[in-house]
Amino acid sequence: MTPSTDSFASEPTNSVPAISARGLVKTFTGRSGTVEAVRGVDLTVRQGEVFGFLGPNGAGKSTTVRMLTTLTGITGGTATVAGIDVAKDPDGVRHRIGVALQEAGLDMRQTGRELVVLQARLFGLSRADASKRAEELLELVELTDAADRLIKGYSGGMKRRLDLASALVHRPDVLFLDEPTTGLDPASRLVVWDEVRRINAKGTTVFLTTQYLEEADQLCERLAIIDDGKIVTEGTPASLKADLKARRGLESDPTLDDVFLDVTGRQRERRAGEVSEVAS
Amino acid sequence: MKTVLILGERAVREAKRTPDALLPTLLIPIFFLIVNTGQAAKIFPTGSTPFLEGQSYAAFQLPATLLLAASFGTAALYLVEEIENGYFDKLRATPISRGSLAMGRLSAEALKSTLMTIVILLIAFPFGIRIASGPIGVVLLVILTAGWAVGYSGFLQFVALKTRNAAATNSAGLIFFPLLFLTPNFVPRSLLARPMEIAATLNPVTYMMEALRSLILVDLDWVVIGKGFAVVAGFVLITVFVNIKTMAKYD
Ligand SMILES: Nc1ncnc2c1ncn2[C@@H]1O[C@H](COP(=O)(O)OP(=O)(O)O)[C@@H](O)[C@H]1O
Ligand SMILES: [Mg+2]
Repeated sequence: MTPSTDSFASEPTNSVPAISARGLVKTFTGRSGTVEAVRGVDLTVRQGEVFGFLGPNGAGKSTTVRMLTTLTGITGGTATVAGIDVAKDPDGVRHRIGVALQEAGLDMRQTGRELVVLQARLFGLSRADASKRAEELLELVELTDAADRLIKGYSGGMKRRLDLASALVHRPDVLFLDEPTTGLDPASRLVVWDEVRRINAKGTTVFLTTQYLEEADQLCERLAIIDDGKIVTEGTPASLKADLKARRGLESDPTLDDVFLDVTGRQRERRAGEVSEVAS
Repeated sequence: MKTVLILGERAVREAKRTPDALLPTLLIPIFFLIVNTGQAAKIFPTGSTPFLEGQSYAAFQLPATLLLAASFGTAALYLVEEIENGYFDKLRATPISRGSLAMGRLSAEALKSTLMTIVILLIAFPFGIRIASGPIGVVLLVILTAGWAVGYSGFLQFVALKTRNAAATNSAGLIFFPLLFLTPNFVPRSLLARPMEIAATLNPVTYMMEALRSLILVDLDWVVIGKGFAVVAGFVLITVFVNIKTMAKYD
């Protein structure tokens, strides 16, 4: 609140963006023809923010994340993460990012602790440092009690939290979370939100995809809405709502839901009471 | 290299936790050793069968047993599982070399095969089977068999990486039948019927089997051993190479 903290907080603004994408394109070619999953995405995510990437199922969120995290090749355009070119130096990028993917894929035959230790060792930590780091992280995500049980027996929420912990072993600059709360019960969702806030408070930039507008509203400083492989709007949750209110001359405040339906062109179908969603 | 060992250690842990997958790999080859020996031992009595070099027919069968045991690697199936559940992507997102990613599980297969060979030998010794080539021969026998385990698991892992499909990977495992049976596994090559002899001569596995057999029955016959090692080395090099290539291009 004081002027000094304000100027302090604005310092990183002119530094390298945490994520920058220009004209990002991904085309899948398979037996059933080609799919243009991502069709020219531009993004700038600032250091230290929680950036929301919102969109309906099949919009291209995961594909974008997979390109930015070096997991799938970039068909067109360029991207840098932590200032490093994703296509030219994938290993450089891998050192700087943490990744928790949509499936929360984990090795069911390891214990939680073994999984985190393994992850830490793959990032170059010594055996001793890796166990220390695992202990810290398991505590952070409140899995200390379950740490030595096989992951097979974990609940969905525990798996997500473990996945989150294992993404943090090397203190990444940028954390990618692909639908971190999809399929979780409301209580587990709140726990994950808390953790995202805590992680971000320590300075980690978070790039989070979600289909839940409330999640974006709760967590994200800025967000982009993607539909059918293209970004349809971008801004802070408040600015997007204000825009819509002004544009439509609404009397009451719109929700992020209204913004979403507006930009994805799904409002009319809903108003007309059509049951089937248009898969434009 | 270090990351290979870290991933290998994990694969060993994985194997220890699935004893029900490990036990048959020991029991099935021993079952065949007993059954095959039981069926043919009377036709080939020790005293009057020159190619047995004074040992029992079980000693002659041992190479096939060892190769069979080394062909049950789980690397490929666990890899498919990992690809399907998404953990593989998590590993791919770490900054380790794609080569390490390919070699982790294969290094564990080498270790598993080594232990398996030792166990089978320990079971075989009380039945009078001897390794004519002595301690050096035992070491060579273990290495040769472990090499086959790596090559064969590597081949299946390559199929797994390409198809990302458990059924396809399982079917690829069937190649083991022509490879292991178009060999002189019941009698020496010179006693095979002509078409079979040609097939066995063309099959590289034959040279491995003959190398193992000469270690058990004869002594250190470097020409035969050399051919066996050449085959294994070539097999391992090719499978490792295609694994690393495929891993690097994996999308
Ligand atoms: N490996 C793939 N092969 C072919 N098509 C794919 C592949 N991955 C995703 N797609 C397609 O790309 C589009 C975007 O998918 P995705 O990025 O997973 O969307 P979201 O994460 O927003 O739900 C979808 O139409 C999906 O079917
Ligand atoms: Mg997705």
